[in-house]
Amino acid sequence: MDAATIRGLGWKYGGRDTFAITDVDLSIPAGSFVSVVGPNEHGKTTLVSCIKGIIPHSFHGVWRGQVEIFGQDTRSLSAQRLAQETGFVFADPEAQFTSMTVEEELAFGLENIGLSLREIEQRLSWVSALTGIDGLWDKSPYEISGGQKQRVAIASVLAMKPRILILDEPTSMLDPLGKDAIFSILLQIKRETDMTVIVVEHNVEQVAPLSDLMVLVYSGRIARAAPPAEFFQDCDQLVEHGIQPPQATMFLDRLRREGAFHGRLSARFEDDLEALKALLGPPAGQGTRP
Amino acid sequence: MAERPDAAKQRMRRTLLGVVPVTSPLYALHPLTRLHTLVFLGVVSLFIDVPEINIALVLLILIYLRWARVDLSGLRIYLPLTVTVAIFMFTVSIAFPNRDPSFHTFRFAGITLYAESLYWTFASYWRLMAMLFGTIQYFSTNRERETLVAIRSMRIPFAVTYFLSLALRAAGMFLEDMRTIREAERARGLDETSLSLRDRAKLYAMYMIPLFTIAIRRTDEISNALFARGYTISGKIEGGGKRSDYIHTKYVFRRRDAILITVMDVLLCGAAAARIFLGAFAVAQSPLRQYFLTALSG
Repeated sequence: MDAATIRGLGWKYGGRDTFAITDVDLSIPAGSFVSVVGPNEHGKTTLVSCIKGIIPHSFHGVWRGQVEIFGQDTRSLSAQRLAQETGFVFADPEAQFTSMTVEEELAFGLENIGLSLREIEQRLSWVSALTGIDGLWDKSPYEISGGQKQRVAIASVLAMKPRILILDEPTSMLDPLGKDAIFSILLQIKRETDMTVIVVEHNVEQVAPLSDLMVLVYSGRIARAAPPAEFFQDCDQLVEHGIQPPQATMFLDRLRREGAFHGRLSARFEDDLEALKALLGPPAGQGTRP
Repeated sequence: MAERPDAAKQRMRRTLLGVVPVTSPLYALHPLTRLHTLVFLGVVSLFIDVPEINIALVLLILIYLRWARVDLSGLRIYLPLTVTVAIFMFTVSIAFPNRDPSFHTFRFAGITLYAESLYWTFASYWRLMAMLFGTIQYFSTNRERETLVAIRSMRIPFAVTYFLSLALRAAGMFLEDMRTIREAERARGLDETSLSLRDRAKLYAMYMIPLFTIAIRRTDEISNALFARGYTISGKIEGGGKRSDYIHTKYVFRRRDAILITVMDVLLCGAAAARIFLGAFAVAQSPLRQYFLTALSG
């Protein structure tokens, strides 16, 4: 079953002349990890906001088409039902904080969906261990570091155990170490849960190895949607659309164009390394070289 | 100088207007009891004109804060406020006194002063100070969540606590934003201590523009965040059940809370009844006033 099915989706914000996204058709299989990539201001956040239901519930504008999550039209679902089905982590973690302590922030969504106190405690322990925020419960979410803020933001949504977890540029405000920590959490979520994860991300190099499906959004349309192995076959087109493929992939693409490499391009460094090793042959003294 | 090991270990908890050690004995009291201190200190002074009692209340508040291990040096930030209020009140009282012919008068720096009018201002000032310090003690020692827990303990309808919680959160964020802006200014070399009082007042007025801009933008963000997390104004969950209240269960209402609340209620009602029915705590009963007037007559 598909977690999300989008048919002919178009959305124009109130007061704007053009559609932010138009003619979007996309199916997201349940349990998959999907990366949404593309340049800024081309419709990525609008697309995921439509999947979450924030659009059209909280915005004025013109809607076309249909978005279904697990077979239910998002426009017909209540805020609570949508919160249970789909979690949303905003790009700016401070934009989603509604409480003045981390503990309250984590419990807030769980209170809203009416979980028992015992269940809330269990989920807080689970999510704190998963995201490494055990020592922060009593602090204000505004006082902690940028990386900790983002982990709290993810944890507070993850605790609700939504069937679909959407993260809108979760690493955009973080330093390299903070980014690594978030990708490590994403990897854990992929391994330990059966959630469908949709990540809007600019860091293609780190998100691609996690992805089952990569979606390129350009000028409000889906320019490409494919598994990573196929997604990177035409690096030129990706670069034209503002995407920077991984360095190793770019290097192999260059070799391929020069006629020195005839294999398939991959987004995983390990695959690229193997391809390169095969191309170079065994090191001197170990192989059959003269 | 190296920090003392026990001081280094001291974990602090940020409150609405300050910081308090996590180990403060104050936290043994239920938030409802603490909110009651705000109500008691805010209202009881309305029935008391005798400045000696209001001065004693202010001292009591300072002792309470000391017991709660609040750093009293932090209260210095309220000094300009207390001085400004005094200047304003006494200036008005001296410039526009109640010229009752029965009042005692005396000359000071070429101005005729009316003793009873001046003393009434003095009494009013300390009444105001008792209320002000009562408010400062509450907001210096409590967080937004404790206020909400206290209000929810009174079984106030969810819609009311909903708006109040948003207002408190907004106030907390407003203060955080202000702190950020001030830090950014200091980082760019602004030394507030070198500014005159007038320039400082101007500086605070200038803060309002970015603060209100941020607040307006945040309205949208909070609205979306609340929707995304399934918040509804009814306080009901899907299917009609009641929303859970996890934070509320973190506080225990003990016997000592009941005793303290009862004592405060009895004192408040007693003060109100004594004032309304017996005319007690009127400014005329102030021993200091008697001494002041006797000294002038003599």
